[in-house]
Amino acid sequence: MRALCWNGVNDLRVETVPDPEIVNPHDVILRVTLSTTCGSDLHFIDGYLPTMKAGDIIGHEFMGVVEDVGRDVKKVKKGDRVVVPSFIVCGNCWYCEHNLYSLCDNTNPKPEYQQVAFGQPTAGIYGYTHAFGGYAGAHAQYVRVPYADNDCFLVPEGLRDEQVIFLSDAAPTGYMGAEFCDIQPGATIAVWGAGGVGMMATRSAYLMGAERVIVVDRFPERLAMARKFVGAETVDYSQVESVVDTLREMTGGRGPDACIDAVGMEAHGTGPGHAYDRAKQALHLHSDRGQALREAILSCRKGGTLSVLGVYGLMDKFPLGAIINKGLTLRTAQQHGQKYVPRLLEHVVKGELDPSFLATHRFPLEDSPRGYEIFKKKEDGCVRAVFTA
Amino acid sequence: MRMSRTEALRDFDLQEAPSQEAPPSGRWSQAASALLAGTLVSLGLRRRSLGGTVVALASGALLYKGIQSRRHTPPLPARARGHAPPSDEASRAHATEVERTLTVGRPAEVLYRLWREPDTLGRIMGHFADVKSMSADDWHWKLHGPLGRELEWDSRVVEERAPEFLRWEAAANSTLASQGWVRFRPAPGNWGTEVTLHLSFSPPGGAFAEAVMKRLRGIPALQTVKALRRFKSLAETGEIPTLHHNPTARASAD
Ligand SMILES: NC(=O)c1ccc[n+]([C@@H]2O[C@H](COP(=O)([O-])OP(=O)(O)OC[C@H]3O[C@@H](n4cnc5c(N)ncnc54)[C@H](O)[C@@H]3O)[C@@H](O)[C@H]2O)c1
Ligand SMILES: [Zn+2]
Ligand SMILES: [Zn+2]
Repeated sequence: MRALCWNGVNDLRVETVPDPEIVNPHDVILRVTLSTTCGSDLHFIDGYLPTMKAGDIIGHEFMGVVEDVGRDVKKVKKGDRVVVPSFIVCGNCWYCEHNLYSLCDNTNPKPEYQQVAFGQPTAGIYGYTHAFGGYAGAHAQYVRVPYADNDCFLVPEGLRDEQVIFLSDAAPTGYMGAEFCDIQPGATIAVWGAGGVGMMATRSAYLMGAERVIVVDRFPERLAMARKFVGAETVDYSQVESVVDTLREMTGGRGPDACIDAVGMEAHGTGPGHAYDRAKQALHLHSDRGQALREAILSCRKGGTLSVLGVYGLMDKFPLGAIINKGLTLRTAQQHGQKYVPRLLEHVVKGELDPSFLATHRFPLEDSPRGYEIFKKKEDGCVRAVFTA
Repeated sequence: MRMSRTEALRDFDLQEAPSQEAPPSGRWSQAASALLAGTLVSLGLRRRSLGGTVVALASGALLYKGIQSRRHTPPLPARARGHAPPSDEASRAHATEVERTLTVGRPAEVLYRLWREPDTLGRIMGHFADVKSMSADDWHWKLHGPLGRELEWDSRVVEERAPEFLRWEAAANSTLASQGWVRFRPAPGNWGTEVTLHLSFSPPGGAFAEAVMKRLRGIPALQTVKALRRFKSLAETGEIPTLHHNPTARASAD
């Protein structure tokens, strides 16, 4: 089959690779109909997230049609049209039973990396480093989906692929991030990052009863989309003296009740703090540029909540003092997609959520390296590039 | 048996080389662990061996200390804990032993039965050894790697208390004196069972010993806990996560 492979930093190519096979009894093989880029991929494409190997197939957000079914699969049938969350989960362990799916104990075939790095391994992810299992990704014609009964969600009739694809990752991530904020009536939420994750967090915050959601980014097209499609107020951080001051003024001097970081370790920034981060990152002395997260911490009202969705490795100059002294609650996780997909499908069916506007660019799989190029550079108003296999 | 921290660390130096806790080999993965390990980043990238040591100490020695100082040590004679007889001081210094615990969400009876099934050890140890069941109480072990043939031995169950404890020993004529035990004890709340796996190896004397020990040092900590993880997945889900047949654009699947 054909698949998009990582061959080194900023080196993606579509290559011919072996077809996947059923290996374990709960596997299915999916014929991929649509897959999408994600901001998380940029971290290893740019070389900041280690444990990729040359030849790895990438891609972790996808949907498709079931082609082949393992012998112990009970619910999923050949021909089913399904969407699959990016984390592979067993459905049986303590973490799965407690809806903490991305912490699943049983799906990472290479637990030794994270055991050393984090003290405990998390679940595996498709096409997303060997620390997360080394599984083949989904920018391919076919992909093996383990534990299919827990990980495949049937798509209701009448929905287009573009309406559903983002339920694989961006939508549940944003929804989880909004849920972390424990939104009370009248709440104001600020969201850093107008990518797929930030826009989905914004829409979710409104669905949960937020009165105002303010999105911070610098790309005019993205900010325009945030206003148009998810009803955000927006702040262009490149046009204001201080994001912290701006948000404080917009909220009667209090600060937002909760702040969501949907940016992550490659935050763009300005000023001496950014120069410091950039230099250290270039020297590989640390992996993160933390401008967005630092602003979120300083902006948040006292006693408020900090919801971190952006992916980080490690970060210094972390203003822990502000968290302690302002009594902030820090909530974070990799997405527990299996918990949210059924609820999100209901929202889509009822017309309360339509993430299809995120799919700004569509390419055949053969042109996926070009898709990543414009996604990475945010060219031509690209929010997400989607690929048809 | 309580140990001070320094005692535990000394024990660690003697019995476990730091490299055992290092992640899979290769510069990239060294960098990986360092990057991912947060505070260890600059050490790990600038001074590899020091980084490795720190990683090893952080995840190995402290954990080892934790195990050593636990109040519940198994009710076994000293020899069963892998300590060679006192007369054999030389080989004691070379002995490699490791003990790791993992919680599995199933009752001890179920886990004990699974452990005793003929193909279970072969499946859970598959990442570092071929283990074949010869009869209910006899296994044939063969370590993966260049030394191949020499690192094969037979073992036999020598102590059994279902569903709590099982111990095996290598046959007396083996090149390698090895033994192991597994213990199942109830975990708190609804967590299931705490499963402890203990493996120990005392190599032969002579020039060959060095080479053998080098190989063995690769096994203990991470490999042992990985065997437990594979056992856990098998018990909780009926399968073990794998990259078998995993498509890639390189020669290997993993
Ligand atoms: N927790 C999870 O499970 C999970 C899941 C998916 C993605 N993520 C992470 O979420 C983050 C966003 O993903 P995405 O797909 O939306 O990425 P994206 O690259 O499309 O969007 C990131 C946005 O952040 C903006 N940005 C950069 N610096 C900023 C700053 N200083 N202040 C405000 N905005 C800034 C960029 O302009 C861009 O619009 C990534 O770090 C990704 O790894 C996490
Ligand atoms: Zn993603
Ligand atoms: Zn699980």
